[in-house]
Amino acid sequence: MNSNILEIQDLNVNFSIFGGMISAVRNVDLTLAKNESIGVIGESGCGKSTLSYTIMKYIAPNGQISGSIKFKGEDLLQKSEYEMRKYRGDRIAMVYQNPYSSLNPSLTIGFQLDEVTLFHRGVSRKEARELSLQALRDLNLGDPEGLVRRYPHQISGGMQQRICIAMAILCQPDLMILDEPTTALDVTTEAVILDTISELREKFSMSLMYISHDTGVINKVSDRIVVMYSGEVVETGPKQQIFEHPNHPYTRALINCIPRKGMVKERYRLNTIPGYVKRRGASEGGCPFEQRCQKKTPGCVEAYGMREISPEHTAACDRAYATDVPDMMDKLIKSHPVKSMPDGDALLEVQDVHKIFGKKRKVYAVDGVSVSVKRRSVLGIVGESGCGKTTLGQTAAGLYTPTKGQILFDGTDISVSWKKRSPEMLKQIQLIFQNPGRSLNPSHSVEQIIGRPMKKLMEISSAQQRRDMIIDLLKKVDLSKEYLKKKPPQLSGGEQQRVAIARAFSISPNLLICDEPTSALDVSVQSSVLNLLGDLQEDTQAAYLFISHDLHVINYISDYIMVMYLGRICEYGKRDEVIRPPYHPYTKALLSSVPEIDPSLEVGNIRLGGQLPNPTKTIPGCPFAGRCYVQAGKICETTKPPRVNKSDSHFFYCHLDDGA
Amino acid sequence: MKYILYQLKRSPLAILGIAILLFWIFLAIFGPSLTPFTHTEMDSLHQMAAPGVNNHVLGTDSLGRDLLTRIIVGSRSILTVALLTSIASTFFGIIVGFSAGYFGGAIDRAVLRMLDIMMAIPPLVLAMVVLGVLGGSSIMSLSLIVSIAFIPATARVSRGSLLTCKSSEYVDAARIRGESHLYIMFVEILPNTIGPIIVEATARFAYSIMMVASLGFLGVGLQPPTPDWGMMVIENRPIITDAPWAVFYPALAIASLVISISLFSDFVSKVLIHEQ
Amino acid sequence: MNILKTFMRRLGSLIVTLVVMSVVIFVLVEIMPGDVAEMILGQSATPESLEALREARGLNDPIYQRYARWAGGILQGDLGESIYMRGVAINSILWRRVGHSVLLAFTAFIIFVPLSIFFGVLAGVKAKKLTDSIISFFGLATMALPEFVSGVFLIGLFAVQLRVFPIVSIIPIGESIFSNLNILILPALSITFVMFGYISRMQRSSMILVLNSDYIRAATLKGMPYKYVIFRHALKNALLPTITIIGMNMGWLFGGLIVVETLFAFPGMGSLLMTAIRTRDVPLIEACVLLITAIFAISTLVTDMLYGLLNPRIRYQGDAQ
Repeated sequence: MNSNILEIQDLNVNFSIFGGMISAVRNVDLTLAKNESIGVIGESGCGKSTLSYTIMKYIAPNGQISGSIKFKGEDLLQKSEYEMRKYRGDRIAMVYQNPYSSLNPSLTIGFQLDEVTLFHRGVSRKEARELSLQALRDLNLGDPEGLVRRYPHQISGGMQQRICIAMAILCQPDLMILDEPTTALDVTTEAVILDTISELREKFSMSLMYISHDTGVINKVSDRIVVMYSGEVVETGPKQQIFEHPNHPYTRALINCIPRKGMVKERYRLNTIPGYVKRRGASEGGCPFEQRCQKKTPGCVEAYGMREISPEHTAACDRAYATDVPDMMDKLIKSHPVKSMPDGDALLEVQDVHKIFGKKRKVYAVDGVSVSVKRRSVLGIVGESGCGKTTLGQTAAGLYTPTKGQILFDGTDISVSWKKRSPEMLKQIQLIFQNPGRSLNPSHSVEQIIGRPMKKLMEISSAQQRRDMIIDLLKKVDLSKEYLKKKPPQLSGGEQQRVAIARAFSISPNLLICDEPTSALDVSVQSSVLNLLGDLQEDTQAAYLFISHDLHVINYISDYIMVMYLGRICEYGKRDEVIRPPYHPYTKALLSSVPEIDPSLEVGNIRLGGQLPNPTKTIPGCPFAGRCYVQAGKICETTKPPRVNKSDSHFFYCHLDDGA
Repeated sequence: MKYILYQLKRSPLAILGIAILLFWIFLAIFGPSLTPFTHTEMDSLHQMAAPGVNNHVLGTDSLGRDLLTRIIVGSRSILTVALLTSIASTFFGIIVGFSAGYFGGAIDRAVLRMLDIMMAIPPLVLAMVVLGVLGGSSIMSLSLIVSIAFIPATARVSRGSLLTCKSSEYVDAARIRGESHLYIMFVEILPNTIGPIIVEATARFAYSIMMVASLGFLGVGLQPPTPDWGMMVIENRPIITDAPWAVFYPALAIASLVISISLFSDFVSKVLIHEQ
Repeated sequence: MNILKTFMRRLGSLIVTLVVMSVVIFVLVEIMPGDVAEMILGQSATPESLEALREARGLNDPIYQRYARWAGGILQGDLGESIYMRGVAINSILWRRVGHSVLLAFTAFIIFVPLSIFFGVLAGVKAKKLTDSIISFFGLATMALPEFVSGVFLIGLFAVQLRVFPIVSIIPIGESIFSNLNILILPALSITFVMFGYISRMQRSSMILVLNSDYIRAATLKGMPYKYVIFRHALKNALLPTITIIGMNMGWLFGGLIVVETLFAFPGMGSLLMTAIRTRDVPLIEACVLLITAIFAISTLVTDMLYGLLNPRIRYQGDAQ
């Protein structure tokens, strides 16, 4: 009897669909020791989730599994549905990406917790409730007695996910599978949950299988890493090895796609992987990464070998090479660094803007923000969901009118909705949305989509002239003219976003508002979109208002950064003034919550408790007071914090002069 | 197109439905010239004749009129009215539903309120009372009244599918380049909502047949001498024990037409909704 | 608390609806061609006696005065007099008929509701299997089938061929409906068909939607038994939308009542309304339509409140995050 909890051998999962068989998981070998934590990483469509559901023996009826999955020596694939019940939720527990939809809306939290032990432990109702309360206490949740009586919709997303985790540990499983458990949550909540998971793992000596697309998260929670691509394991090894000496071209490319702390747009381009993950037919062979690989040889189409780098570390590429990451970064250094920090005058001025939604139940989305976007510069707005960053962007774009305050564009008052703006003004400001699939009309062709603003706002009536210009634009965003007649559903997410960018630039705007333009994209695509946006900014000298929840992205692309919390500004300044070091306690907490992959970087340990206050009430004091860890005293609750100027361009709002 | 054929091959019931529907359309167009009788001609020697007697393929009614001929002629009016009704109610539904959903706010509330009030009377009761009060239905008045009775339902469907698209960012994108409301409604939104609306229109076609037949049955449909399937059933109801065919064949005609359209509509929804 | 507030608001809008409806009905029926006085006195009446009757009945008054008089009467429980039946108070004929119709509707209701829900759930659970195909086809076939069509086939089978139920639903003079309950069966079954078609299909799709949800997957992967997952986790969520669907279909049910009452000569409100329309009996039409509207509106209100009560997401809307 060895100490392995899980041994997967030669696992294949195929699905039959309209048009043939596709392969979701292929030839996967994997072992997981007792107490070990492995992180499975890869982009969407790489078979990570299918792998986890296959371990639970839960796949769609059109799926076929072959191979073996040994759990503590027993092959789960040989078990009947009835026998599987004894494993599910008892020996193997699972936590899902979307906690809200994973909890039954019509049953109380207590009921959903109790049933686990009722079935698996055969305890009485009273004992079951006691166990449930104990599990909630194990997770340090306040007021467990009150919590069990509530319904899922009555608690926040972070809380829901903690309930799901409590549910998973009720029977103290040997293995816990976590499928992107923090992807739908804010970073500060994510940081708390990742800490909780690590604590629980030690406490109950569980093995963990953690699935994520986020290398930072994986770095934080796992000992060993499995990199998946298109259903196959392409590289596996200890965390340190993978991040410091990645061998498979995909792993190397993936790690270099992520903008890291040192990487800023003036000096570095981001690494990109051309193309996107394609679904493979069950009969297709060869290296899965061949089409996107920059180091491929003709032989890769047919076969590739496994290479053992060290006993613990293997990569599915026979020409695996161990060049260090810094070498690769050197190649990304821009040959002509851009002049950094343009210091123009203000193009867009936001003056004490408020935006209140609703009449009876008021939601204070933006609560008195004054900021300006300088000509030819990028202002990055960062904050968690509900901080008002999107509302601010859309108000500037004219989708909303401010409830109070003024917005000036080049000196002209534009605090009116798009209806009242002149065509000339509409031309000046363009918007790029988060979800390219939703921002392009699915029933219009690419030509129609890009051509319409030209016709409408530039009054170019000749179709041929428009077409020539569109082809030019497509070239700029790396798309060929074959795309003219395609419709958005035929394009991949990255291609869609490129079309959206082409549309925005079709009328040469002076200000581009980018609302989370890369959040819906895989990292490899994100990096190419960021490169593209950077290049276009250099070429066109347009100013950007760049909104993102991702501090890495903001840090890479912005000249100025504004941190928002609950509709107000926390901190504003030039990039380096805000990031190194941060002053406002919230900025600091945000930075310390972001999971990093550089082992050399010191890991922050500031964790925020509590929840976002109710945005339907006005806050007399500092909005962050309820969650702040360095309070100045009662004054934080009662008086608005004063503006503390650190330099001409850098200020923050706090009762403490030096912030945290 | 390929996908439609692929789905069609996998649904024999849809093929059956489409076949029956085409059969009725064929009969409605060419049928009257195929029978030796006219729909008003009374064969006084063969009243309540059983099917087959004296060339009456489906028998005769109490007045000696040929049932087959009357059914064939009747198919014309019911198909015409139902088609007009489903087109008109879908069209008005789009207009009402789109303007309510698109502009929202007070307009939306007012329209919804109005639809609520319209829906306060069951559609059949509404149509029946109005037609009864006006008296003497024609194809046009019948189609109009039934369409109006259906507007609350079709308007809600249109409004609902508009709302799912309205929040899409491509609508925002159109707004901030200053597009007009009409452009946004009909060029940006309509093509993306057309699937559910067509599905609703085909289902509405079946309901129109049901409604028109029921109105005929209640005696407020098309007036004699135009043969009406619903009316044929109630006319011959007293002789159901002596000449059951006079009741069953018209009823069977209604049933087969309604079922064929339902099967067709189900197939349309499978193709259109699945495609998205 | 919230429920009560919603209830009061809905009740208010119900009253508004009824008032508006009463105006619409009144205006609609009053513009009906034909002279009421002539109908009462017959073709041979002299112009003088007609005019005298008009004056006496207030038929020459402006329409708003007549509406006020009529509405005032209704509020005091007086529905007016039937014209066709020579001055018989509507109250004396209508309520017995309403009772019969309600009994018929109720009979149909207790047949089709459990039946459609059961088969709808079954089809949803067995989605894409043979059971589902059969149920779905049956539902599709009956979904838009007029009640009189299913009715005549039922008559043909059960009354003409098997002779187990009466061919018409007539209550012998002097007897009450409760001693003739067998006359309810065929009319109720005729209504069941069309209701079954629609509701079972809706139930099926809501069941499928719920079974494909993340929380059902989560419950299964918690190791809960299949049947337990279906009954404890899926069923309640799948039944909730059906309540609304049933409420919305009450309108069709009332339309169906008129049709089957006519087909079976059943002594209910529907056939009374038919007679009223045929004989152009203005006060009787007004009374019947107003009553149907009121019953329909109340049943919609009841289903809406029931939905709110059973759905925790609505019940606790106030303190949602």
